[in-house]
Amino acid sequence: MALLEIRHLFKFFGGLAANSDIVCSVESGMIMGLIGPNGSGKTTLFNCITGYYPPTKGEIIFKGQRINGLKPDRVCKLGMARTWQKVRPLAKLSVLENVMVGALARTGSLKVARRAALHQLELMRMENRANSLAGSLSIGERKKLEVARVLATQPELLLLDEVMGGLNPVESEEIIQLILDIKKRGLTQVVIEHDMKAIMRISDRVMVLNSGEKLAEGTPQQVVSNPDVVTAYLGSAHVA
Amino acid sequence: MRGARQVKTFGRIHLTASGFAALPLLIVAAVVAALFVFPWLVASPYLLHLMILLFLSVAMGESWNVIGGYCGQYSVGHAAYFGVGAYAALMLLQYKHIAPWWGVWVAIAAALIISLLIGTICFRLRGPYFVLASIAVAEIIRLVVLNWKQLTNGAEGILLVDIPPLMLGGRLVTDWLSKTPFYYLGLILALATLLVNYLVQHSKLGYYLQAIREDQDAAHSLGINLSFYKNVALAISALLTALSGVFYGLYIGFIDPASVLGVDLSVQMVLICIIGGIGTNFGPVVGALVLVPLSEALRANLLSKFLFSIGVVQETSRVGGFLKENLAHAHVLIYGILVVVVILFMPDGVLGFGKKLIARRARPLSATPTPLVGGLDGST
Repeated sequence: MALLEIRHLFKFFGGLAANSDIVCSVESGMIMGLIGPNGSGKTTLFNCITGYYPPTKGEIIFKGQRINGLKPDRVCKLGMARTWQKVRPLAKLSVLENVMVGALARTGSLKVARRAALHQLELMRMENRANSLAGSLSIGERKKLEVARVLATQPELLLLDEVMGGLNPVESEEIIQLILDIKKRGLTQVVIEHDMKAIMRISDRVMVLNSGEKLAEGTPQQVVSNPDVVTAYLGSAHVA
Repeated sequence: MRGARQVKTFGRIHLTASGFAALPLLIVAAVVAALFVFPWLVASPYLLHLMILLFLSVAMGESWNVIGGYCGQYSVGHAAYFGVGAYAALMLLQYKHIAPWWGVWVAIAAALIISLLIGTICFRLRGPYFVLASIAVAEIIRLVVLNWKQLTNGAEGILLVDIPPLMLGGRLVTDWLSKTPFYYLGLILALATLLVNYLVQHSKLGYYLQAIREDQDAAHSLGINLSFYKNVALAISALLTALSGVFYGLYIGFIDPASVLGVDLSVQMVLICIIGGIGTNFGPVVGALVLVPLSEALRANLLSKFLFSIGVVQETSRVGGFLKENLAHAHVLIYGILVVVVILFMPDGVLGFGKKLIARRARPLSATPTPLVGGLDGST
């Protein structure tokens, strides 16, 4: 059984279909790449899955349970966590406290949460920044902090929204290794990314969205050789 | 390997935390001890009165700090809880002859019910819309109290006749005739609100409230039930505010809608925190220490007296007469200007400004430049 199943999901904003008839299933342990031009509905899909938007129509099944209409905090407690395209550090809290807030989703004890958070920061090689204010971090560190924080909520499914956006090649490579490392720990991931090279490297399957509709889905190889995808990305003149 | 390193990191964090905590704890203990013996050393009723006002302001500021400081929900309607608390206790005392130490429970219950109502309505809104809604609901309550004359005596307010003597096991504890019992009551109230703030800050609740303050959407995605935690914070805040209201009513002995339910009271609670340092344990204490003497000095026209005494202006001259006549009336204006100055130049309050000054002075001693990029840990 798939860990996450999306059945004919629609999301309208007024007359605009931001997501239209999305069907997809994410198997346990895999990395699903989610790509598409700007405004194709990738982040909207994340927002629907994690409970920020109620879907207009359709079903979202997580671990065999229908989750549409659940609030984001309930979705998180069920074992699904997301990061944000625009990073959202809790600026006036320290890095450690940021991760502790995530860990507190699973415990009432500050001591346990602190230990879990430190462990998470060590896995990220960020323990030297534990006492810095989150607002003082560089963009690369902020992205890593986002991941550390959601990992602390002990998710089974991780939705990463452009964690490599705005990073330099060295930092991007670090994030790629991190994503592969998370996969090795048995977590399932859906990754929105614009860097095609990166997405081809890490994904087991790729889904392409265009104008809110699902354009293609398959292995990375199948997707890049799909003429529709090439048209959507580069314009029709390139298909010859 | 990893285990050993983890313990070391732990030890370091623990050490710095306890190292910083020891000194302030000693200072706090000394100050509290001094405050407890203060009435034995000082007989002046005016000084005692000032101290009681100070305690009241600390309690009000600390109460607001729970929802406004930690949770970041800037309620400008806290007079509602203050007034409802004061009215509940004083009406029971005046009309039903129920002693305030019983009436205070009714006051707390009333404030909690109202906080739940206000929370359910207002927490649907965010940012400035929440602020406006909180003002509106408090104004509605003020107008109800003002116009429900049979119950509340309307604009005439309630003039307390007297408080029954407090007996404990057949012995008289206090007859409430001097300022001393109010001094101790106020001191305990201020310390209790301070303690609640400390406990909130050092609990899961405190972490969650601060997460909500910093970024609601991020907090929501991390498993935090926003409306639940906001309502819990508001309930704690409302409870403490109601206690302050009961204390005010008993001490002053007169309440009316303008004095205990007005929007200026709500603003004052916010200002104590903003001036002192919002979302910190001792910020409201510092705020009260600045604002109470300041407004008292302005009210008592100390400024013009000071100008006369150093001889800048002759008291008998025309300018002197003008100042003597008008500076006292302008005290609200001067107070306002000073508040604006503090907010403009000390965005983190007096406490935050002081900390920054200390940090700036300490920096040359331990000159370790912070790395520009974080990736110096040899990763990748």
